[in-house]
Amino acid sequence: MAGENSLRKGRRAPYGLLSPGMLWLILFFLVPMWTLLRIALSTKPNPFLPEYEFTWEWSNFSDAVSRFQPELVRSFSYAASATLICIAIGYPLAYYLAFKAGRYRTVLLGLVMVPFFISFLIRTIAWQTILGQEGPALWFMQTFRLVSITDALGITSSGAFLNTPQAVILGLTYNFVPFMILPIYVSLEKIDPGLISAAQDLYSTPRQAFRKIVLPLSLPGVFAGTLLTFIPAAGDYINAELLGNVKTSMIGSQISKLFLKESNYPEAAALSFIFMAIITVGVLVYARILGTDELSA
Amino acid sequence: MTDRPTDPQLAAAVEMIRRESRRKFLIRSGMGAAALAFGPTLLAACGGGSSGGSDGASAGDGDTKLTISNWDAYIDEDADGNVKASGTTIGDFQKSTGIKVTYNKDFNDNDEYFNKIYSPVLGKGKRIAADITIPTYWMAARLVGLEWLEELPLGDIPNHKNMIQSYLDQPWDKGAKFNMPWQAGISGIAWNPKLTGGDLTSINDLFDPKLKGKVTFLTEMRDSVGLTMFGQGNDPADATLDTVNKALDKLQEETDNGQILKFTGNEYLRSLENGDVAACVAWSGDIAQLDPDLGIQFAIPDDGGMQWFDTMTVPKGAANVPAAAEWMNFVYDPENAARITEFVQYISPVEGVQEVLQAKGGDAAALANNTLIFPDEETLSRVVTFGELSAEDEIEIQKRFNDITG
Repeated sequence: MAGENSLRKGRRAPYGLLSPGMLWLILFFLVPMWTLLRIALSTKPNPFLPEYEFTWEWSNFSDAVSRFQPELVRSFSYAASATLICIAIGYPLAYYLAFKAGRYRTVLLGLVMVPFFISFLIRTIAWQTILGQEGPALWFMQTFRLVSITDALGITSSGAFLNTPQAVILGLTYNFVPFMILPIYVSLEKIDPGLISAAQDLYSTPRQAFRKIVLPLSLPGVFAGTLLTFIPAAGDYINAELLGNVKTSMIGSQISKLFLKESNYPEAAALSFIFMAIITVGVLVYARILGTDELSA
Repeated sequence: MTDRPTDPQLAAAVEMIRRESRRKFLIRSGMGAAALAFGPTLLAACGGGSSGGSDGASAGDGDTKLTISNWDAYIDEDADGNVKASGTTIGDFQKSTGIKVTYNKDFNDNDEYFNKIYSPVLGKGKRIAADITIPTYWMAARLVGLEWLEELPLGDIPNHKNMIQSYLDQPWDKGAKFNMPWQAGISGIAWNPKLTGGDLTSINDLFDPKLKGKVTFLTEMRDSVGLTMFGQGNDPADATLDTVNKALDKLQEETDNGQILKFTGNEYLRSLENGDVAACVAWSGDIAQLDPDLGIQFAIPDDGGMQWFDTMTVPKGAANVPAAAEWMNFVYDPENAARITEFVQYISPVEGVQEVLQAKGGDAAALANNTLIFPDEETLSRVVTFGELSAEDEIEIQKRFNDITG
């Protein structure tokens, strides 16, 4: 009897423990989402007055997509490029930190975090100076006559760094790369070195050991890093605004302009919704492909 | 005033940089040194400022408290950045009237303030915390149209007579019964002669293929569109959908072909200094504060320039209208207005400020001779404010403009 009772209690306990989190999610996620969806399906008869009419206005969604398609595509392609570069930079760095850094590990990890002591905006503004006409980057390339080469490689556009799509991707990469390094580092660091020794005992080459042991075990880190990099990068508009030009604007600034400059809350809400929906679907598909559940277990 | 970055953090960062460059300029010109060493501000720094108090509006007689919502860096402050130190305008106002001022620098952007505060609160017939807000003229015109402003008790504002005539003739508020201008400025063109290789005289010079990809315009629609309209022989003061659309066609074309690099807020200053931009649409007040050694030139195009002003308005239902009237009267005293001009270096809407500064002598007198701050008759005859637009036209134009600016 007593055993059954405690079992029942045990069944209910998780819900009790979950309730603060559930309450949080309902209050600060579901309710705002519901409001957002309602506004996205409303009309605002007078753009200057704070009054809506709920009319199942699906055209807000189609209007937003047809008008901002280029920005949507651009946001996702810039974010994808930045994420790939982040993996290319972040993975070797995290690998080095986890396996080779030895006693310098803490110091080096600290250095990865140091930029966070300075505001995101100030760091981005600093890149304006670095990449500008009189900045060190261009000076270096001009001194060594590399401009024609970087132009051909697509790193610069007609001899300019600043105010190009490349600069925006660079800014995104720079600002989000620590979010890639840290999760990969954590998953690499958890790997038991004994596994690699075992692989070697079984005559695997270091390359095979990496491909069959280290890489699969670190994929959850890559997955987490990709989410932490890709999602904020796709929604970011500061980099596009400060480092880009008139043809590099991303979806965030369009939502802000719809809301602030055109007082068109319904379409702004619809565009936000579309943006979130695409990201959510993308993440689910990605999770499926990487099969994170099995990996993390 | 002008269009600031909407993000408060970004605005703060830009302001920090602006402040730094202004400080350098003040020190270089010797003006800052004199003001810092001998001004009454030093005493204030020792005595400690009387700042504090964060309470908003509350009911009562309405003449003991006052809440002002203004743009950042738009009033005189002491060396520590305290706007209420004794010897500052607010400090003196508090001392002479006993009214306790809450001064918020939270007016970052007209559209933002409209969509976050005016519309959701005033639009529902509720009272906002500020007794005085300082929108740009076209936003003030919109608020007058929506009947969201209190009529000013002109009987309690005798200094209203010191207002420069042109501000009394605004078609949306004849006789200035709902607004009292705070500061004004002119939008024109600025260029870096080292990169342009010569002086510019017309807005159309910005479309010279020689400058391709080295030109910026402003995200403030009325400035960018207005100047372009002048270049096409149209008058922005009588803007119609047709003439505006013609200007937008031009901006679209010049953006598509890569002539215009981007549309910016205040950030254009650094691009101009760094040589990333050769020529741009610019605000006179910004250029007046630049280090003269940089050699950046500013001119009102021969075709015409845009004037703008930010103006004190009392939102409907404000708790402290009598105190607001006392404040407006105080800052329309030429002596007090001159102190603000000396600090912010924009164009003052108050008659007699130039004379006060001339009488002070020294650097103040030099300021009085600066034509960007005290434009002469000939200059003023070449500038206009943008004509009033209907709500539908405004939204339609803004929409097209947003598509162009990216």
